[in-house]
Amino acid sequence: MIKNQKMIFLYALIITLVVFNLGIFMGYMLESSRLDKINILYSNAELELFDQMAQKESLGALNINCKTLVEENIKFGDKVFQEALEIQKYEEANRMSGDIIFQHKRFDLLRTLFWMNSIKIKQNCNSDYHNVVYFYKYNNPSINQESKQKFFSNLLEQIKTKEGEKVMLIPIAGDNDIPSINLLVNQFDITEFPTILIDEKTKLTDIKNASELENFLK
Amino acid sequence: MKFLPIIYLMYMFFSIYFLSLFLILYFNNKKNLFNFPPLKKKYSISVVIPAYNEEETIKDTIEHVFAIDYDKIVQVIVVNDCSTDHTREVVEEMQKKYTHLILINNEKNLGNAGKSKNEGLKYTTGELVAFVDADSYPAKDSFKKMIGFFNDEKVGAVTCPILVRNANNFLEKLQEIEYKMIAFSRKLLGYVDAIYVTPGPLAIYRKVALDEVQGFDGNNMTEDIEITWHLTEKGWSREMSLSTEVTTTAPDNFKEWYKQRRRWSIGGVQCIAKYKKDFFKKGMLGMFVLPFFVIQFFLGLLGLGVFFYVTGTSIFSEYILANYSLPAGVPLLTIDSFFITPTFLDYIGIILFVIGTIFTLFSLSMMKGTVFKKENIFYILFFSIVYLSVYPFIAISGVYNYFKGGNKWR
Repeated sequence: MIKNQKMIFLYALIITLVVFNLGIFMGYMLESSRLDKINILYSNAELELFDQMAQKESLGALNINCKTLVEENIKFGDKVFQEALEIQKYEEANRMSGDIIFQHKRFDLLRTLFWMNSIKIKQNCNSDYHNVVYFYKYNNPSINQESKQKFFSNLLEQIKTKEGEKVMLIPIAGDNDIPSINLLVNQFDITEFPTILIDEKTKLTDIKNASELENFLK
Repeated sequence: MKFLPIIYLMYMFFSIYFLSLFLILYFNNKKNLFNFPPLKKKYSISVVIPAYNEEETIKDTIEHVFAIDYDKIVQVIVVNDCSTDHTREVVEEMQKKYTHLILINNEKNLGNAGKSKNEGLKYTTGELVAFVDADSYPAKDSFKKMIGFFNDEKVGAVTCPILVRNANNFLEKLQEIEYKMIAFSRKLLGYVDAIYVTPGPLAIYRKVALDEVQGFDGNNMTEDIEITWHLTEKGWSREMSLSTEVTTTAPDNFKEWYKQRRRWSIGGVQCIAKYKKDFFKKGMLGMFVLPFFVIQFFLGLLGLGVFFYVTGTSIFSEYILANYSLPAGVPLLTIDSFFITPTFLDYIGIILFVIGTIFTLFSLSMMKGTVFKKENIFYILFFSIVYLSVYPFIAISGVYNYFKGGNKWR
């Protein structure tokens, strides 16, 4: 029993500090474990991309089948899309760690490499899939931008489900200050986010309905 | 880290602190929660009942006061504040039965309980003065279980649990839970000399303490809070006897409930404004009671701001999304929308809510509530989730009315 009742204020403060810091620590651990999962996803994706790139480089030198390469590329593209959705969930639930932003940049870069590789495979194999690159704003989007991005995201998800292998959907944050992405943003004259770039030719910033986008994918 | 998580963490910090404080206080004192000191001296006591339009309850209140098992009640004074109903006639009729019953009719309506209490105080002769609301019924054993606390010469006021007598409809049942929670937490705060209100339904004061603070502040909307702070400022201790009770009539409809709470809220702001000079000064008032009140107000108002910000931006964002999506034939929700990845703040929030609810259940069981009935669990959950969320709205209304000068009692 505590004799001096007034000391209870101090004990309560000490308990609070312990519990509060324990909570923060647990939170940090939770977010770290999620970050670890993202790291594993990244490492696997990186490995697969390098494999894809190696296959593409071998196209001329060795007798690699174009059909297999395109199939592998599409499979990888689907995976990139699914991973983007998963990472987005973790990012939305992230409250403490800033490391996730760094990890996001790495994914953006990886997706950019995938896009470049996809362009080359398409050219070399004369394939008919469409590269649909979705540039969005990652840092502090306005409410309007956020809603528009959610709309674009749902729309693209719908198109991807419908068109399947015909669409290589590549989401890239356009404002993460990565020189190579900045270069591409300037190259394609992307001045606002979100923007959808289809086959490195058509830029869409306003879409009224799904069929409007589908027309570009015929 | 973003702005909102910092606010959430601040809330959590204070929640953990007060929860820890109450838990330590409970475990440190659980053996003597219901103890009361035996009477060493039989103090003489005057009872003052301020009344305004209380014809329906005043008779029973007086009967209950005279039924109290204490033989040194020297006078019972009813202060009739120009009631427009038959309060006066009812009391006059009762004077035939009780010779110690004194009726004082104010010449003009004074407008609030504080001023009427001061009128009654002028006529008191007892060493102690009990104030009883005209719609409240003290238990028979109340004085015996409260007066013993005055054995300690530093004690200036003693209060007891106020329980809802008319717990019939939904709102009344919620107030029943609330009053029991308040009583239990007030008892715990008493162990650290932090009782911040000696409520109107029944409180006993040492006459010399009342004289020192010159009675109640007639301009305060919550004269019972104000006098408690005043006594605290002057160094008088306040005690709570958990082993007895007084029952009172709780508002039975939302309008009356809201009016009562708004009055409490304005009174709270009046008290903070009056005693702001004592902030962080030595003593319980400056070091705990005032910061406790201010933090409560601040967190309530901030919470309301955050709630409106989050809800507002969310509604606005969904509205824009709908404007984009519906004409385009794109679904507003996808399967992924239903899979929420909780943040660590969500986890901590849930844990705190669960612990808080367990503490509520526990407190109610300590207050002899039949809490573990199915229907009561519903009321308790409703109380914890919805009822308490309304407090900040009333706080805002209170602050607004305080600055507007809207401090009418009735």
